[in-house]
Amino acid sequence: MVEKTKLSVLASKLLPWRMGVQSVFLLAWLDPLGLRLHNMCSPVFHCYACPLSTFACPIGVLAQFSALHIFPFVAIGLLIAVGVLFGSLICGWACPFGFLQDLVAKVPTPKFDLPKWAGNLRYVVLIVAVLAVPYFWGEEHWLFICRVCPAGALEAAVPNMTGQAIAGEKIAWPNALKLTILGVFLIAIFFMKRPWCRMLCPLGAIFSLFNRVSAFFVRFNADECTDCERCHKLCEYDIEPEKSPNDSRCVRCLECTNCGPSALTFGSIFEHSKIVTPPTKD
Amino acid sequence: MLTRKGKIIVFGLLILTGVVLLAYGVFFHSENILPQQNEDSAMLVQSEPALIKEVSVGGIKRDESGRLKRTYDKTPPKACPT
Repeated sequence: MVEKTKLSVLASKLLPWRMGVQSVFLLAWLDPLGLRLHNMCSPVFHCYACPLSTFACPIGVLAQFSALHIFPFVAIGLLIAVGVLFGSLICGWACPFGFLQDLVAKVPTPKFDLPKWAGNLRYVVLIVAVLAVPYFWGEEHWLFICRVCPAGALEAAVPNMTGQAIAGEKIAWPNALKLTILGVFLIAIFFMKRPWCRMLCPLGAIFSLFNRVSAFFVRFNADECTDCERCHKLCEYDIEPEKSPNDSRCVRCLECTNCGPSALTFGSIFEHSKIVTPPTKD
Repeated sequence: MLTRKGKIIVFGLLILTGVVLLAYGVFFHSENILPQQNEDSAMLVQSEPALIKEVSVGGIKRDESGRLKRTYDKTPPKACPT
């Protein structure tokens, strides 16, 4: 029997409160103190043109720096440091755009699965829209990530347009493609779980690269597994956690750690799980 | 598959890389920026955190010759043009 570590006990206590944790992080990203610390990136997907944003969006900074042909030391350093510590745990517990999709997923509508290969589209978005297009064609190109980003449309364009309308100013409309993508996104989140995160998010693509080496990870204890496949039902992202507990498609919601026999636990490289012998009856 | 020791080594190397890049960007990295109006005037030296703030409102662009140039004179734009 594998002894539960302090971290796995903490994770199992926090798990029912995941949306509460996401809400606390949301408050931090929404600039409650009006600090506008836009000279530093956050590790989450939150547009810096949003009237309520504490930090700069790391993907926006990567794309803009790529367009300017400047190496983004701060954004890359931050993403490596955070990625190697937490991997996609950030997606599941801290990202406001993921939280929005989690909230809408609570609406009881039929949910459709995505094909497994769809997760690879995130790397295409990262390479094409965040790095290559800005580098070769600049930020004027229609495929520049900020020009098609639904987070930018929802968090920045919509509130800014509303503000302009209320103030009686001329409304600055975003381009038609951005509005179309926003429309498709707003419909898709009712019928798929986290469609943006699973199919297109370039930040999730970066963090997922660290899932297999991150300091905090999902540990699979083969000796505890009873092949009941309950983890398959618990996982909302069509992953088989016992085969690939740190899959690149995983957002680390940690729901799979709720499996009865404790075969899947939240662990870290800093603590060693011990094998303990259960006490005998006599 | 990596052993625990191997994971700790990879983690150590990557976290060190991340922290070094982050610290270099915050404290040492800067770029020369041309002012919007007068191309003969002195270049502005901007640190990377200041550059991040500038790009978040579309305050810097590359001109045809590839030089970095401010898009405004005194007051920065309110928000990103995209």
